Amino acid sequence: MSLEERELEVLIGPQHPASGHMRLVAKIDGDIVVELRPNIGYVHRSVEKLAEVKKYLQIIPLVERPSLADTTANNLAYVMAVEKLLGIEPPPRAQYLRTLLAEINRIHSHFYGMGIHGVMIGSSTAYMWCFGDREPLIELAQELTGARLTYSYIVPGGVRRDLPQGFEDKVEKVMRYLENRMPDYFDLYFNNPVTRARLEGVGVLTKEDAIKLGVTGPNLRASGVPYDVRKAEPYAAYPELDFDVITEEAGDAFARVMVRVREIQESIKIIRQVLKKIPDGPILNEKYMKMIPPNLRKQVEETGHIKFPGVFANLRVPAGEAVARVEGGRGEVVFHIVSDGKMSPYRMRMVTPSFRNVILFEHLTKGARVADIPAIYGSLDYFPPEADR
Amino acid sequence: MQDLLSIIMEPYVFVPLIFPGITVAFLLLLVIIWLERKIAAKVQLRYGPLYVLKPLGGAIQMVADLLRYLFQEPIIPKTVDKLAFIMTPALLFGTAYLPTIAIPVSPTFYAFRSDLSLLIVLALSTLAPIFTVVMGWASNNKFSLIGGIREGYIVVSYEIPMFLSALSMAVLYGSLDLVEIAEAQKGIWGIFLNPVAAITMLVLMYMSTSKFPFEIPEAESEIVAGAYTEYSGILYGLVMGASYVKLYVLSLVFTILFLGGWNPIPGFMANDPLLPGVLLFIKAFIIIVIGAFLRAVYPRFRIDQAMDLGWKTMLPLSIISIFISLVEVMIMGGA
Amino acid sequence: MAVERTIRHIKALATGAKYMLGGHRLTLMYPDDIQEFPDGYRGMIEYDWDTCIKCGLCAMVCPADAMKMYVSKEESEEGKRPVRRPGINYTRCIFCGFCVDICPTNSLKFTKVHDVAFYTFEEQIYPPERFREGIPKPQYDKEPRRVRAVLDEKRGIRYEPVE
Ligand code: SF4
Ligand code: SF4
Repeated sequence: MSLEERELEVLIGPQHPASGHMRLVAKIDGDIVVELRPNIGYVHRSVEKLAEVKKYLQIIPLVERPSLADTTANNLAYVMAVEKLLGIEPPPRAQYLRTLLAEINRIHSHFYGMGIHGVMIGSSTAYMWCFGDREPLIELAQELTGARLTYSYIVPGGVRRDLPQGFEDKVEKVMRYLENRMPDYFDLYFNNPVTRARLEGVGVLTKEDAIKLGVTGPNLRASGVPYDVRKAEPYAAYPELDFDVITEEAGDAFARVMVRVREIQESIKIIRQVLKKIPDGPILNEKYMKMIPPNLRKQVEETGHIKFPGVFANLRVPAGEAVARVEGGRGEVVFHIVSDGKMSPYRMRMVTPSFRNVILFEHLTKGARVADIPAIYGSLDYFPPEADR
Repeated sequence: MQDLLSIIMEPYVFVPLIFPGITVAFLLLLVIIWLERKIAAKVQLRYGPLYVLKPLGGAIQMVADLLRYLFQEPIIPKTVDKLAFIMTPALLFGTAYLPTIAIPVSPTFYAFRSDLSLLIVLALSTLAPIFTVVMGWASNNKFSLIGGIREGYIVVSYEIPMFLSALSMAVLYGSLDLVEIAEAQKGIWGIFLNPVAAITMLVLMYMSTSKFPFEIPEAESEIVAGAYTEYSGILYGLVMGASYVKLYVLSLVFTILFLGGWNPIPGFMANDPLLPGVLLFIKAFIIIVIGAFLRAVYPRFRIDQAMDLGWKTMLPLSIISIFISLVEVMIMGGA
Repeated sequence: MAVERTIRHIKALATGAKYMLGGHRLTLMYPDDIQEFPDGYRGMIEYDWDTCIKCGLCAMVCPADAMKMYVSKEESEEGKRPVRRPGINYTRCIFCGFCVDICPTNSLKFTKVHDVAFYTFEEQIYPPERFREGIPKPQYDKEPRRVRAVLDEKRGIRYEPVE
């Protein structure tokens, strides 16, 4: 039989329990994957084009939508780009609050990814645990911002809300809880011989390939490349915080999971530092603070919830270009804004980590087994809407 | 009335129809699927099925599900091989439950007694997978096909070592008659005499019935539902039940081989099938519950890893277990 | 190697058993229990008719075009410039809270209700006259228990009844 006759083309998705919003076109020879091509674009929402008709502030909720599990990264990167154009800096306290939310978000984004990965290789317990333990973090973020996932917390010049009363205690409780739970995760899931068998040595991405293919985020670091935007181009409060870039050498699916687990531990460290070091002061840039009517300014000081100055409704941004990048949970988020001085950007480019990682589907699955497809897919923490935008 | 009761109590009616036959198998099905979901839920920090009869923790959830299956339209796709598609669920369920007729309930209560009842049970239990393979072919769906083939591969890798470990017990007791085997364990249970055979048989039992971590032929995230992908309504209900029934049958065999069957029972009760039957059932039930519990602990193996396990680990172990039996027989002075 | 693997199998099974026997659960028993949200939760929005200065900022900032200025039939007079007031469309609202934050007179306020469940499409649109009457009260078959999420070191999250 010629190879063509032996091959079977299987269409996995978009209506498949583990395909997500996309179709994987797999050619298989027996149990071996000859070729796997992701068919992306099912959830394309034209974010970039929409941004051209939305006002600057209105784009904040828009850019959050594509990556629902990791909204802060997009929110922050976008606002940072806008701030560069406006030429303003947020006050230090706001920088710390941004970092705090970004790290809380990173932890629950990692839990999300690991949970989905767990159920893809058949461990419903890993799935339920990850999603359950995501809940305390979401509850924290909700207390800080007022919403569960779509925080829209970061606005040009600062953040929208100050720490609520007694927030530090609650954060500390959750951090301890996560630390207590980690050993059980290892015993039941990560060190489970079946998990190991399914993930170790599967979908190996070498260091060279990782760099060549422009992979980003935990997937890159799992191949031994110590690259993290938080270190490479520090932003928010990261220059003042002490943390490590997590890397693993193996580059396989298990290493990618381990990077996430260890990053959660690192984030816990960061969050503790943030709460210890956070300076007092305003949470919105002085320029905007002054624009708030005096009676409201007093209210802002009392409640810790800022009121937007009227200019926010029709924020005009000076002409120019700005690029900002942020290390999100899934990897590097880049925003490039071109402004012509109007109320909407002339062009907005949004590069999401999933978009850069989608190339790995084809690369890593060649020669893998059919059962490895979900194991590799999950380990990439790939989120179709984020890639399609 | 009295006549009817005495007819039912006749072993050759009671065994296939009541216990271990269809009635108990059916009730077990209703309980075990609920229990499996409950156990998984508990480990996963949630409640599981709850709202159907809330005071009992949703215990009749499966009755509701059964009703749903019954009244749901069984969709038969145009492209399937109709006859095979419709027949196989019933045949699968039937053959899965068939071996129960050869299982004795007490030393004196059985549908028929044969010198070869162990072999009969094992042989009958191998029939069911054939229909899964047929199902995968008849569905005319790529995922079903892969699922059917996976089932085929799994069968060849568990069957031989499972039979060897079961037969090693026959060597130990010097008999292939389930009644004699159970009676031989009046004192010490088989699991203590030959633990290697017990573990091998247990693992392979779970493998043969697609329990985690061997839930490979219907791996949801890979091939949707394997051979069962195209099934809906009561047809799906049947195929889903079949693997539980098979586990039930094998658990009964396991109990008789390794857990002393109906022992220990006081001698004067031996003629009454009630107590031995209950004992036998409880032991088998525990084995099934352990299988259900595994779902909450393990992800699933890949097909090649499962075959590896079958051929490279379980086969040698089952051969070792035969040697263990032989050595023990020699030490104990031959049976 | 084989020994290590066996130990890991045992550990995994033991951990599973530990949780099976433990009483720890994270479920919120919705709808028997309804969560009370912390202050500042961004739920449905209340409108204060009297303090509103009809500036239109809320409608301008709304990213989803949920908040719109409607001609107020009550106040507009024939031949004069129509008076416009904000109204909200809950089919579109994404609860970003921008309108609340920008309102210079605090005429818009968050409530803690987020059950945007309606029978018809039209019902979800709140023109100013309806908007001022407040949000619809969620209805339950049986009065649910109100619970609050309490973060806990041992159990992550607990739902405690509030009085
Ligand atoms: S909450 Fe946001 S989306 Fe809803 S009406 Fe206000 S500004 Fe518009
Ligand atoms: S609700 Fe507030 S922002 Fe909207 S029109 Fe009235 S005063 Fe202006």
